[in-house]
Amino acid sequence: MSTILDIRNLTIELETSAGTVKVLDKVSLQLAEGEIHTLVGESGSGKSLLAKAIMGFINPRWKITADRLWWRHYDLLSLNPTQRRLVTGRDMAMIFQNPGSYLDPNTKIGDQIRETIPKSELKGIYLRRKASRTVRAERLLHRVGIKDHQKVMESYPYQLSEGVAQKVSIAMAIAHNPKLLIADEPTTAMEPNTRNQIYRLLAKLSAGQGMSILMVTQDLTSIVPESQRMSLVYCGQLMESGATEQLLSTPMHPYTQAMLQMSFFDQEIAPKTRLPTLTGAIPTLQHMPIGCRLGPRCPNARRDCIHQPRLTKFKQREFACHFPIREVKSHD
Amino acid sequence: MTSLLEVHNISKYYRAKNGWLKQRRICALEPLSFSIQRGETIAIMGETGSGKSTIARLIAGAEAPSSGEIYLNGELLNPHDYQTRCREIRMIFQDSLSSLNSQLTIGRQLLEPLKFNTRLSQAEQHERVYVILQKVGLLPDHFNFYPHMLSSGQQQRVCIARAIILEPQIIVADEAFASLDPSIRAQIINLILDLQEDMGISFIFASHSPEIVKHVADKILIMHRGKMIEFDSTQALLTNPKEQISKNLLQSEQLNKALKHTTTQE
Repeated sequence: MSTILDIRNLTIELETSAGTVKVLDKVSLQLAEGEIHTLVGESGSGKSLLAKAIMGFINPRWKITADRLWWRHYDLLSLNPTQRRLVTGRDMAMIFQNPGSYLDPNTKIGDQIRETIPKSELKGIYLRRKASRTVRAERLLHRVGIKDHQKVMESYPYQLSEGVAQKVSIAMAIAHNPKLLIADEPTTAMEPNTRNQIYRLLAKLSAGQGMSILMVTQDLTSIVPESQRMSLVYCGQLMESGATEQLLSTPMHPYTQAMLQMSFFDQEIAPKTRLPTLTGAIPTLQHMPIGCRLGPRCPNARRDCIHQPRLTKFKQREFACHFPIREVKSHD
Repeated sequence: MTSLLEVHNISKYYRAKNGWLKQRRICALEPLSFSIQRGETIAIMGETGSGKSTIARLIAGAEAPSSGEIYLNGELLNPHDYQTRCREIRMIFQDSLSSLNSQLTIGRQLLEPLKFNTRLSQAEQHERVYVILQKVGLLPDHFNFYPHMLSSGQQQRVCIARAIILEPQIIVADEAFASLDPSIRAQIINLILDLQEDMGISFIFASHSPEIVKHVADKILIMHRGKMIEFDSTQALLTNPKEQISKNLLQSEQLNKALKHTTTQE
C-alpha cells in the first residue's frame, strides 16, 4: 500500500494575547491508501485543527509550517488557494459531529444531495441531466444503507434522527468518490446501536472502494473495530502512533496506557474500584507546560521531561517519551 | 426492612393535540415498579426515547407522574412536596455549564440550597460550602469564581457539590458522564464512588455507555419504548441476559473486538 497522505512535523502557531502558542507541535502522520486511521485526542488536543489543516479550512491568523504536507504528489503548502481548493474538492471530503446542524435546515434532503453530485458525472441534455441527478441521489442513499429513499429525500433535516442525518451527510461526502474521508467525531453522543451502524458503513466504504478514512475521536471506547492504525495526540503533541492492535495490547507511552485504563480496556480493574486516572485537568492554551506537555499529569514524569522527547521509531510504530513503559528491544 | 425508595406502578402520559378538539395520549412510560436499597447504584439503560430520562425526572420530582406512587423510607412522597424532595433527592444534569447560573459565583450558587432548606447561620453556611468544595476536589478559592472560569470537569464537580450539599439520600444523574473527556470522566466516576462510600448515598443514573454501567452499577434497569424489559443485578444481566435488547445494549462491539485482538496476540 502506498502512502497517500504524508505529514511531517506539522506545526500550527496561534497569535494570542499571551504571545504565540503552538497549538500543534510537530505532529507527523502517514496515511496509506484504503486505510482507516484513528486519531484519538481529548478536547483541546488539536485533533480537529489537524483535520482542518489537511482539508485547508485555514484561518489566516494561523501560521502553518511543516517539513512535509503532501497529498499524493501535491505539496499542499505550496499550492495557491485556487489550486488547493481544486485538489481538496476533488479528492477529500469531511463529515462532522452533530450532523443535523450541518445540513441546511431550509432545504429538503433530496435537494441538498442532488446539489452535491458533480456535473462531470452527468450526461445528456438538460432534462436528462436533471433526471439522472435524482437517480444518482437515490443510489447514494442506498449505498449508505437508507432503504426508504423517497421519504428521506422529501424530509427536512429536523425530521431525521441523528443516525439517518449522519448517513445523509456521509452520502453527500461520498458523492464525488473522494480518496480521503475525514470524519471529525462522527458519532459523539449517539447511542451504541446507531454508532455501530455508522462504523460498519464507514468500514464497508473503505474496504469496498479503497477510500482512506481519518477518524477523529475523543475516546478509545469509540474506535472503529476495523481501524488499522491509530495515533494519540495530547495538547498538540503526538504521543504514540502505530498499528491499532499493537497499541491496544502493548502500549509504550504512559498516556496510551492511562487512556486504555480510563476507557475500561483493562479487564483486571474490578467493578467499583477507583479507576487509575491522570491527575489534574487539561491545560489551557495559554498555560501549556514546556517540554513534554503531558509532564505535569504523567505518572512517570521525571526531570528530563522538561525537554520535549523525540519520536522513537521501532517496528513501524512511533512514540514520544523519555521513559516508555516497556523496554525497546533493539534486536527485533 | 423497608427499602430506601420504592416506586409503585409509576407511569407518565403526555397529551398532544390532534386537530381542534381531539387529543392524543402519548405514553412515555408504562406502569413500572422497582425499589432501591440504601447505598445502591442503579443504572438505567435504553435507547433514545425509551423513557430513561423520564424515570430520572419523575424520581427527582421535575415532573409529576400520571399515576403511581413513590415511597421514600416507607412514606408516601407527594409529587408536589418540594421541601422533602429537594432535601433527599437531588439531580445532576448532562450539560454542567448550562445547568449552572452563569450570573452567580460558585459560592453563591452553593449557598442557595442552604438558605432555603436549612436553618444554619450565615457563617455556618459559608463554612459548609468550603467543606463541600474541598470534598469534591475544588479549592475554597473557587468560592468567588464564575462558572465560565472553570474547566468542564470542574463545572461537573460544582454540580456534584450542589447535589450533595444537603446530604441527600439519593442522587439522580441523567447522562452525567456523556460529554466529558476520558481522563476527566474517570476522575468524576472516582469522585462519585468515593462520595457514595463516604455518605452512603444511593445513586441512580441513566447512561448508554456499557463500560461505565458495568463498572459502577449494582443493578441495571433496561428500558425499551417506555417499558421495563429487565431489572436485575449487573452480574446476572451480564452473564445471562434474558432479552435480546439487553444483550445488544450491554455488549460493546469496540471493546470485544479490541480484546479479541489482544488475546489472539498473546
